Amino acid sequence: MRSGFYKQTIAEHLALTDSWTQRAWIAVALAALATAPFVLDTYLLTLVTLMMITAVGGIGLNILTGWTGLISLGQTGFMVLGAYGYAIPVETWGWDPLAGFLLAGLVPAAASVLVGIPSLRLTGLYLAITTLASAFIVVHLVLEFPGLTNGASGIFVNRPTVLGWTVFTDQDLFRLVAIFLVLTILGALNLRRSRIGRAWFAIRDKDDAARVMGVDLRTYKLYAFVASSFVVGLSGALYGIFLSFVTVDGFPFLLSIEALAMLIVGGMGSIAGAVLGAVFLVGLPEVVSMVFSAFGDSARALLSTGAHEVKGVLYGLVIIGFLRLQPEGLMGLWRDAQRVWTLWPLRY
Amino acid sequence: MSAPLLKLTGVTKRFGGLTAVNEVSTHVDAGEIVSIIGPNGAGKTTLFNMISGVLPPTEGRIELEGRDLARVAPHDYVRHGIGRTFQNLALFKHGTVVDNILVGRHWRMKTSLVEAVFHFGRPRREEIAARERAEEIIEFLEIETIRDKVVGTLSYGQQKRVELGRALATDPKLLLLDEIVAGMNQEETEDIARFILDIRDELGVSILMIEHDMHLVMDISDRVHALNFGATITEGRPAEVQAHPGVIEAYLGAKAAAARAEPAPLLKARAG
Repeated sequence: MRSGFYKQTIAEHLALTDSWTQRAWIAVALAALATAPFVLDTYLLTLVTLMMITAVGGIGLNILTGWTGLISLGQTGFMVLGAYGYAIPVETWGWDPLAGFLLAGLVPAAASVLVGIPSLRLTGLYLAITTLASAFIVVHLVLEFPGLTNGASGIFVNRPTVLGWTVFTDQDLFRLVAIFLVLTILGALNLRRSRIGRAWFAIRDKDDAARVMGVDLRTYKLYAFVASSFVVGLSGALYGIFLSFVTVDGFPFLLSIEALAMLIVGGMGSIAGAVLGAVFLVGLPEVVSMVFSAFGDSARALLSTGAHEVKGVLYGLVIIGFLRLQPEGLMGLWRDAQRVWTLWPLRY
Repeated sequence: MSAPLLKLTGVTKRFGGLTAVNEVSTHVDAGEIVSIIGPNGAGKTTLFNMISGVLPPTEGRIELEGRDLARVAPHDYVRHGIGRTFQNLALFKHGTVVDNILVGRHWRMKTSLVEAVFHFGRPRREEIAARERAEEIIEFLEIETIRDKVVGTLSYGQQKRVELGRALATDPKLLLLDEIVAGMNQEETEDIARFILDIRDELGVSILMIEHDMHLVMDISDRVHALNFGATITEGRPAEVQAHPGVIEAYLGAKAAAARAEPAPLLKARAG
């Protein structure tokens, strides 16, 4: 039984990986991402692309909810802002897509300051309702300014050309999204090990003590809003590119709930958990439809007429199940499995 | 003589009609260990909350090295050199011991939100420096073996020690300890007493502590300040305060105090 990995320098403590096994697994994951476009068929490729876009959004929400302890139901609003922040400059004004991606982060980040300031004194349910309202305000604003946003008809989004690389095929889109996911994970991991990340944890766990340690609660809660919305906005832009179309209907309110469900299912406060949650929740309806088809035509017909309802019921069941049985989510299950693996046949 | 490190002048706190702290004046000189004693509800923690910026005083002045703290924002008290521990554990329970102590270094670091995303250059250098300081504190408090444990899994005594470490990591000039040994056994209490003396003697930090453990108070305090119902009963050397009729009355009641012809030391059995 191994007893641990010993560190001799402080740089080793700061490193994101602490062993060769961990590095090997990361290499395997990156290799899988690199080879997937050659191996997977279009259906699976599209599914994994969607999972990755969702994971980016999940990591964004995790900064706010998982790390800082502020619940937000305004994810849809920030995704919409991100999508339009990309679509308007790139498609309408003909800007470079890179600038579009930057705006897809900056526009929601700026808007989150507006939402954040009045929300700073609120926590829990009150904050959730305030952010929920902000999502509806965003949708209304988009519909109110058709000159800029093209109103309810939306904006058609082409696949971009980034630094001379034209994203054209589904394989290319997969690669683009994979790059964004990897960069998002890296950025989030760096934030987590910085003074900023620690200040967020401190606010979540004990805000009074955090303040005595010199953490300005207002500033750092706003930071969490800004960082979270930046990332969520990026996922909105990617989603717009994925759908080839940006309209408010493309971002139903259910997305906000899905995002929270993802964190609960994956494991609150963990980046890997957000990714796992995204894989699980995006994959769930697909697996269910496969199961339903196995039961024959009548079951399939039920699913096709009531797909939306079935999905809603499923999410509900899964969330209740996890909250009741494994509040730490899939990451909790994974840690339990690791513990059993290392300690077996002993129990602890 | 220069101004005392901490000076309270007529500090008062009212919550509606209730006066929790009433016209308390005292001081802590550099290098002193001062204890605040008093029965439950005497206003000790409220006084601490005012000194550490958690609550603003209703009246009175709190000065640190001659500077009035009234206009200082709550999160900036730490910059002026006030560190504290809390009566009931207030650790960041999902973090490791090192994480918790590093939060104490927060105000000393300058990495911005954008820099933090890249972990390159200054953020990295700053992080390494903060870790080095944290390791010194871990060594000082002899908690090396639990360094990477999540604090929620530690024993009460260990958690208290981590909280002390977190407060020390802020480089305080004045350390406020709110019932640091409450709930500890004899051995843990003696360890903490040794740490408190070392913090004063080796690190040059002055200490103001609220304490119910009279044995500890009498052993290590330079001065003791007794409160009851928010007001000062007396202040002086430990033995004087211990023998003061008002203090005995506050702890034992008027009848019991009157029954004692000679003011005997409090908690004589334990002290003996």
